[in-house]
Amino acid sequence: MKIFDVSQRSARNLKQAKARTLLTAMAIGVGAFALTMTLAASNGAQSYVNRLISNNFDPTELLVAKDETIFGRGDNNKPQEYDASFGSISSASGAPIQVKQVTEQDVNKILKYPLVEQVREGVILNVQYVTRPGQKKYIANIQDYSPARNPEILAGSIPKPINNTSLLLPEAYVSALGFKDPQSAIGKELTIAIRKSLSSQIVETGTAPRNLQDAEVIGDKSTVLVPFKVVAVLKSEPAQPGTELSLQISTQAAKNLNDIATAGTSQYRQYTRVNVKVKDGEDKANLLKVQEQLSKDGFVSQSVEETQQFLTQIINVLKTIVVAFGLIAIIASVFGVVNTMYISVIQRTREIGLMKALGMRRKDVSRLFRFEAAWIGFLGGAIGSGLAVVLGTLLNPWITNKLDFGTQKLLIFKANQIAILIVLLVLVAIFAGLLPARKAAKLDPIEALRTE
Amino acid sequence: MISVKNIVKTYGKKDSLFKALSNVSFSIPEGSTVAIVGKSGSGKSTLMHIMSGLDHPDSGAVMIGDQELHKLKGRKMDKFRSTEMSFIFQAFFVEANQTCYQNVSLPLEIAEEGQRKIRIEDALGQVGLKDKIDAKAGNLSGGQKQRLAIARAIVNKPKLIFADEPTGNLDSSTGEMIIKLLFKLNRLNKNTLIVVTHDNELADRCQYRITLKDGKVVHFAENKKVSK
Repeated sequence: MKIFDVSQRSARNLKQAKARTLLTAMAIGVGAFALTMTLAASNGAQSYVNRLISNNFDPTELLVAKDETIFGRGDNNKPQEYDASFGSISSASGAPIQVKQVTEQDVNKILKYPLVEQVREGVILNVQYVTRPGQKKYIANIQDYSPARNPEILAGSIPKPINNTSLLLPEAYVSALGFKDPQSAIGKELTIAIRKSLSSQIVETGTAPRNLQDAEVIGDKSTVLVPFKVVAVLKSEPAQPGTELSLQISTQAAKNLNDIATAGTSQYRQYTRVNVKVKDGEDKANLLKVQEQLSKDGFVSQSVEETQQFLTQIINVLKTIVVAFGLIAIIASVFGVVNTMYISVIQRTREIGLMKALGMRRKDVSRLFRFEAAWIGFLGGAIGSGLAVVLGTLLNPWITNKLDFGTQKLLIFKANQIAILIVLLVLVAIFAGLLPARKAAKLDPIEALRTE
Repeated sequence: MISVKNIVKTYGKKDSLFKALSNVSFSIPEGSTVAIVGKSGSGKSTLMHIMSGLDHPDSGAVMIGDQELHKLKGRKMDKFRSTEMSFIFQAFFVEANQTCYQNVSLPLEIAEEGQRKIRIEDALGQVGLKDKIDAKAGNLSGGQKQRLAIARAIVNKPKLIFADEPTGNLDSSTGEMIIKLLFKLNRLNKNTLIVVTHDNELADRCQYRITLKDGKVVHFAENKKVSK
């Protein structure tokens, strides 16, 4: 019997038992729905991570630190030996943790590596406030501008290289600082107020302030005002989390401000991490060579690829959990298919007897039932995936908005993935139909024809 | 010529051994009509199953032309049955939810034969159901269902048609109509019609009558009154 005839006949047989077929297919559909949604969410998350990486990191750079904690690999549950370079950072829970920091000597050492082109210190610091004449003061934080960042510019432009008096202003500050629109902020001067470290105040005034209020009283002497010119206004970018309220300036300017804030303290010219640009860093071998050298000198490093893997790892764990639930649903549905197919064989025993009497081969009888199972699998896959696509497409704007993902969609459906999923479900259904199909093929035609 | 030679068929083992057929032998010319008669349990159905290759004899042979039927195995036997034989059953065995076209198409699909539309229309035309080609078999009357089964039996132009109590489920007038149709088609298509029946009236209209009793041929007669 030709495949086309078997396929048509099996589809007709299923149509005869519409409710049963549909219910069995729906069991597979539940699994298909869960798996389609998981794949779509994972695509969305992966796309977000990729955007995050491409918008924030230069693939020819390595992130270098002195402490594994920076890359989420350290063990902070046991006592650590004191090192003069320890500095405090905030953990994910907000609690301060001590990490070894990269010193100026370390930076100079790394700069001497033959394959290192440049070392850019990563500076993030809270300034006292930002303001401009006639406007209120606002708290702010400063970040060094990474040339790897690819922000959306609302007005102005980012000079290359960015000079030490230029400032990139987040859009959130435009109206707060009294500008009517982003364009009107371009070229205007802002004042960044930064508090000197208490140690440097003691050196300068000879008086030790008892607390922060006392430091305020010191007034002008405790605060340094630094003027900056707005060269660009940046759109808040979901793929650059943490930059929504960050004023970005050149690395050198950020270092200068950091020096003011940390002069005389143990944090002076110490950095949690530095960005090391590798010569011909597109070549993975060069990155690895530098990483090996860094490791020998007691540094920990992470390439952009490793950062991406680290972020993807979290997504994969979540994906595995949801996929496991989807697979359980599919395994459960396998029993439904087996049951349905057995009932079908029993109900159609005389038909099978007739077909065998008319010379239908065992192989074709078995194939007829396997095709029926395949159709159920296809139907289940199509219904489940179809519903997921429809529901996902409808809910996507709402979810994206809730998660503040900007233009990034959380659910990204890929036709090839859905097609592969449906093919796999068809194969699963065929597998489920094997035993009933075998039973049908082995029926004795004489006995089958006698069946009431 | 179709020859049945010394067929023996037993069921069961030792104490429960039952001899269904015992040295059954006869020959009939191709294209003839044959009635196999006998009481229930006489071995009629067993003989039909062996003659059609659905069952195997313990010993003996069935020759259809030059072909010894039971020497065909597996695929060859299936192919032989799908092209050379057909069946009509008392219970019709038509697929109620499928159309007449789809029902009649089954033997052609199994035999992987082409020109289906023409052949199906022709077969349905021969049994007077051409206008029902797209009707669901379940909506047909008993007589129409048996005519549909006959169309299915003749569509692939088999050499041999086995009819197992073809009028058993029909009232007498419908049964008479089916009998007339079967003999008319036999004359027209020149295939061999082997009818297993209790119905003496039907048996009397066949050219050959084989009477079985306790698995043995007790009477083999040619009915000279029936013209070919």
